[in-house]
Amino acid sequence: MEEVDKILIHALKQVGTEVPEEINSVKQFSSELIVEAVVRCIRVIDPGLSSTLATSLPPGMSARFRVGMSLAQACQDIGYKGELGYQTFLYSSEPEIRSLLMFLVEKLPRESAETSDQPTGKSVVLERTIAAAIKAHLAVPWLPPKCRLPLNCETQRQGVMHSFHVQPLSLTNCTKGSSKRHTKGSPPTHGQPVQGVTYFPLKACLSVCVCVQQELPPVAKTIPTNHQSEGDVQLGQQEELAYLQQQFQQLCSEVDHLAVLDELKQRELRNSEKEEKIQVKKKTIDLLPDADNNLLKLQALVEASAKRVVNLASQWEKHRAPLVDEYRRLKDICSSKDSSKKLSEIKSLHEKIRVSTEEAKKKEDAYKQLVTELENLPQDASRSAYTQRILEIVSNIKKQKEEITKILSDTKELQKEINNLTGKLDRTFAVTDELVFKDAKKDETVRKSYKYLAALHENCNQLIQTIEDTGTILREIRDLEEQIETENGNKTVANLERILEDYKAIRQENASLAAKVREG
Amino acid sequence: MELSESVQRGLQSLADQSVFDHGSFQVLVDVSFRSLLSSHGDPTVLDQPEFKQIDQILLKQSHTAAVTFILEAVKQNADQSTISSSLEELTFSADRTEIFYSAYQKHKKDLECLLASIGRGLPHITDASWRLEYHMKNGQVDKINDSFYLISLNTENEGSSEDINFTCTVEQLQDLVGKLKDAAKTMEKASQM
Repeated sequence: MEEVDKILIHALKQVGTEVPEEINSVKQFSSELIVEAVVRCIRVIDPGLSSTLATSLPPGMSARFRVGMSLAQACQDIGYKGELGYQTFLYSSEPEIRSLLMFLVEKLPRESAETSDQPTGKSVVLERTIAAAIKAHLAVPWLPPKCRLPLNCETQRQGVMHSFHVQPLSLTNCTKGSSKRHTKGSPPTHGQPVQGVTYFPLKACLSVCVCVQQELPPVAKTIPTNHQSEGDVQLGQQEELAYLQQQFQQLCSEVDHLAVLDELKQRELRNSEKEEKIQVKKKTIDLLPDADNNLLKLQALVEASAKRVVNLASQWEKHRAPLVDEYRRLKDICSSKDSSKKLSEIKSLHEKIRVSTEEAKKKEDAYKQLVTELENLPQDASRSAYTQRILEIVSNIKKQKEEITKILSDTKELQKEINNLTGKLDRTFAVTDELVFKDAKKDETVRKSYKYLAALHENCNQLIQTIEDTGTILREIRDLEEQIETENGNKTVANLERILEDYKAIRQENASLAAKVREG
Repeated sequence: MELSESVQRGLQSLADQSVFDHGSFQVLVDVSFRSLLSSHGDPTVLDQPEFKQIDQILLKQSHTAAVTFILEAVKQNADQSTISSSLEELTFSADRTEIFYSAYQKHKKDLECLLASIGRGLPHITDASWRLEYHMKNGQVDKINDSFYLISLNTENEGSSEDINFTCTVEQLQDLVGKLKDAAKTMEKASQM
């Protein structure tokens, strides 16, 4: 009960009721406090209903009566399904007040549920950061310009503002020419084509041309732009023309020179080839005198080399065949269905990995956002404490349920035993009765023992009866005690006294009103 | 932080150990920050001896990508976890991330001031003085009993201050004050979103 009361008092404090600190339970609520709490709750739940209600009880008794009736009416309009009347507010009883307050507190609109449904989109995040930044700037107090510290200069003073302009960035150009220069260093091997060597000189002269061209515009710029006189201009132009022609001649001669070099190199190559041929022919001429022998030898050589070729070919075949088989086998495996299935499985796994990393990222973002939201939420009375208590209560109830079922089963067992025993008792008594009665007609002692038996049976029955009666009476005592407790909670006596006093007060008011009416 | 394709590629080549070794990485990071913060742009900022071995186009791309990334991070006021996670996605190793982040921390304040100073601003009002005038009569009408306010607002813009002078009637002044209060309320509302 205390936890319920604490939750109720906390909720009422949030609505705006001024609950004094020492009040810990609903039992201690006075009528004024009850009225104030109910009116504030009604104001929050339904502002239209509460327009006629004030938070404090008026002093006059009839006014109080009217206020009580209107409050009861308002509560019933909201939907309370219990008995309500002016007596619940003026002459309150604890259980009624508790149920009414619980109903009203449940009806209070839940503001917290709305804020948690806000979307976590990027624009919302941006707006929230903007709002936080504005809040931070607003919190800094404004100082007049003479008093400003450098700390405030960001937000309160403007530095020089720049406009946005572009700045080009350049690099020293040393591009692919560098790689070609490296090849120049390596000596041209025998078989290397000549183009490599010729390309460089051509490129060199081209780059020279380019450099020259780059030099030309500056030369052109040095032409006097101010029109001193026609003659001077013409002179200058002619000079430039002569200079350009000179350059051109130079370049042409260089190109020719290079072409000549080219020719030279090609001729040298051809010479070397021809030299080789000459060597071969010389050798054959040397071999000519001893023609037959040499011919035989040459033929043998040719045969031997042919055999060697055949040998090598067969060896190569030997090596080649298993490798080709291996290759075919691997190709089959590659293209077989198993591997293709595995391939597709691997692809799907990759896909799943990608998707799950994306989801994990999203969830992390959402988590970060929710953590910041949680920090920003107002710190209410701790929900975790309430949930803990609720869980404890639930476990307690479970335990109690178990105990109750155990007790019930015990009771059933006992009842069965009792029934068994009574049955056994009756049967035994019937049997002994018959037995003894048969003998009782003849023997005196048997008759006495029969009388004793009957008396014993009678007394035991009485005992059992008394025990049962005691049990019932004990139960009745317990019920009555409970009723006494609940009735005591109703404080009926105090309420009756107050009702009597209020009744007297109303009668007095009526009398005074009647007197006023008679007078005037 | 979402970066475009070219920026991502540039940063990936920056992270590549085979293209940029440790020394040239450090120099490129310093150069990127310096090229943002120097007061006049230096066209030859990439003319460092450590960069001679690297293909110039790749160097330019990495430099552009690094500068874009830095500006983006300062704009969004990114914290360490965001920057580290973005860099690690682009295959940066842990120590390179560390180097980058320490340089970023050092220059962050200056970059923020730099970014904040781009733009235009209106003058701020720092002071106001007023004078109440009462017209009693003028040449045409013998009796005008009318009051005017002469307001002088002292404003400051980029260090230089100037005065805005105007006259208004009481109703116009009330209107002005009402508008100022509205503006203040809008700011309050904006900060409570």
